[in-house]
Amino acid sequence: MLRPDLIDTERISATIEAEAEKQRREDDTFGQFERDIEQTWADITPSGEVDESRGDLLDQTASLAALDPQVPIGSRRGLRGVKWLVRKLTYWYIRFLTDQFNVFSGALIRHLRSLETRLGNLEAATAQPVDQAESTASDCLDDPPEPSPAVASLVADFAGVGPCLVLSGGEGAILKAIGDRGIRARGVEQDPDRVLAGLRSRVDIRSGDATSYLADVGNEGFSTIVLTGFVEKLALTDLLGVIEQAGHKLMKTGRIIVAVADPANRSRVELELGSGLGISPVTWRHLLERAGFDASLEPCSDSRITEIVVAHRSESRPDNSN
Amino acid sequence: MSPAVDILIPQMASGDATSNHTRLIQELLEEKGIDVRIVVERKTRSGSGTISIEKWRADGQVSILQHSIGSEVAQQVIRRKIPVVLNYHNITPSSFFDAWQPELAKSVARGRQQLGQLAALTVRGIADSEFNAQELRDLGIGDVVVSPVLWQLSDGAVQAGLSDGEVAEDGGTVLFVGRLVPNKCQHDLIAAFAVLSRFRPRSRLVLVGEASPPQYLQSLKDLARRLDVHGQVVFAGKVSDKNLYQWYQESDVLACASEHEGFGVPLVEAMANGLPVVAYDAAAVAETVGDSGILLRDKRPLTMALALHRVLGDGQLIQCLRDRGIKSAKRFDISVTREQMWIALKDLLDTGA
Repeated sequence: MLRPDLIDTERISATIEAEAEKQRREDDTFGQFERDIEQTWADITPSGEVDESRGDLLDQTASLAALDPQVPIGSRRGLRGVKWLVRKLTYWYIRFLTDQFNVFSGALIRHLRSLETRLGNLEAATAQPVDQAESTASDCLDDPPEPSPAVASLVADFAGVGPCLVLSGGEGAILKAIGDRGIRARGVEQDPDRVLAGLRSRVDIRSGDATSYLADVGNEGFSTIVLTGFVEKLALTDLLGVIEQAGHKLMKTGRIIVAVADPANRSRVELELGSGLGISPVTWRHLLERAGFDASLEPCSDSRITEIVVAHRSESRPDNSN
Repeated sequence: MSPAVDILIPQMASGDATSNHTRLIQELLEEKGIDVRIVVERKTRSGSGTISIEKWRADGQVSILQHSIGSEVAQQVIRRKIPVVLNYHNITPSSFFDAWQPELAKSVARGRQQLGQLAALTVRGIADSEFNAQELRDLGIGDVVVSPVLWQLSDGAVQAGLSDGEVAEDGGTVLFVGRLVPNKCQHDLIAAFAVLSRFRPRSRLVLVGEASPPQYLQSLKDLARRLDVHGQVVFAGKVSDKNLYQWYQESDVLACASEHEGFGVPLVEAMANGLPVVAYDAAAVAETVGDSGILLRDKRPLTMALALHRVLGDGQLIQCLRDRGIKSAKRFDISVTREQMWIALKDLLDTGA
């Protein structure tokens, strides 16, 4: 074993660079991938073309103001003196004008920029598509708390033996409970603080929007998709979309487990802020049954989530005990 | 009676490295019994106890100008031909911003132009790094000293302790800390990470820092999505000190692909937190990191990915880089850098230059 004080980082760097070069030469897969990445970034990057007409006026004026009155301008003493005086006066006059103009332009540009920013803010606030506007409203509602150990344990009891997807993953309580049973589980969570907490628990939690992830993820044949957390802040139309997407991403014998609190038990503030967001476990069962699942309510010894919904595909209802 | 020292800075802002540096110089000098006044371009909520440049009469014994961008403060110094101690934090070349934020590009270009004009008025240059010092010497400033930026490592850094250093064979958390700006090249990190994720499918890239400009952030997200690593890239945004040190603790390696760093505070913070560093060898990065990290002359995705893969998979190397990093970071401990700053200023205050 090499002594740490003998480790030569420069040598390691050189070895790595050489190894990369060798791989590029011997197998073009990575070389091609690098070129693809470069092209992808080039496609995304703004062109950098700047409207040259903007801002030139000030530069031109400043340039004019920088006329040098000391440059030799003639051979006859009298004429040279007059020309010198004219240039001097021109110089001072232009500088005076330039200063005034700069002050005025500076103020004008500042106000125009401020106006542009404010208009942008106004536009962003008023011209959002309907779904974004809804999500803004839902932002007022606090994120649901991390599921309790009782909920996590019950969900894990009903999870299938194949790969699981937990949306949203929160701080990883459910992922950990499923993982403790030897089942591979992956979670997606949007809140970076919760992702950080999940990392600390050494669970497979990824950063991102749960709805988008569900729509984008390939058909990996999940045996279980757990819906919790984020679904409590979704409107009905979005929930129907989530159910449809989850159905597509499940294996034939897969199941959906929903762990949500009943909106009827919300506080007055939550009721007002979360009006139209989230549905009760009973309604979840109804929707899942309409989507072709056999769904049941399983009681849970938790003060917030009193029951969870476990839904299997109708055509093949496997044993749920693992 | 006029204060002995005026420190000129465009604005005082919370969470800004130059503003913190200014406050710490103020504390240092006041502890030495010297009156200090902070002069700003425009007063902000974070700038209590400051005066605006319009009301400044330049009647202090020494004027220290904090210079890192084009500003009205610097313009006033030039216009009024005031001798200054130029505390230079480097200015990012405008070319990095041309395509993304033309207004900022103009501002930094103005800063460069002002730097040339300030050279003639500079009685002493104080640079964060040798890299910055060389720029000042190239401008003809003869008296230049190196004194790193002052900042206080949060107590959390020490209290957090070190993670266990165990990295899963197919995982690992790669961290970068710093504003999301084109010159720091987070897009190169995402590119390298896209390759790394082929070796380590359960690895993650965490980008901590505020987005500026916003469209760069959008493009980074777009890149991550197109490279199919969006689920593994965490855009943590601007975080509190506490969360920052948690990220340091939870991560396995700090990666830096930045093409322009006048110093690199996060590199030192990472080292102080026992995090190995893999960085592109540009600007002042090499002198900040030294032999405490893996420095690469080539930052193409495969090269950076192989370097990260090597570090994540080599416990002996991790331990070595960790030990060296912790030792090396002590060079930038506030007790050391305060002393350096005091030495840089002391004789000027004695003689009233």
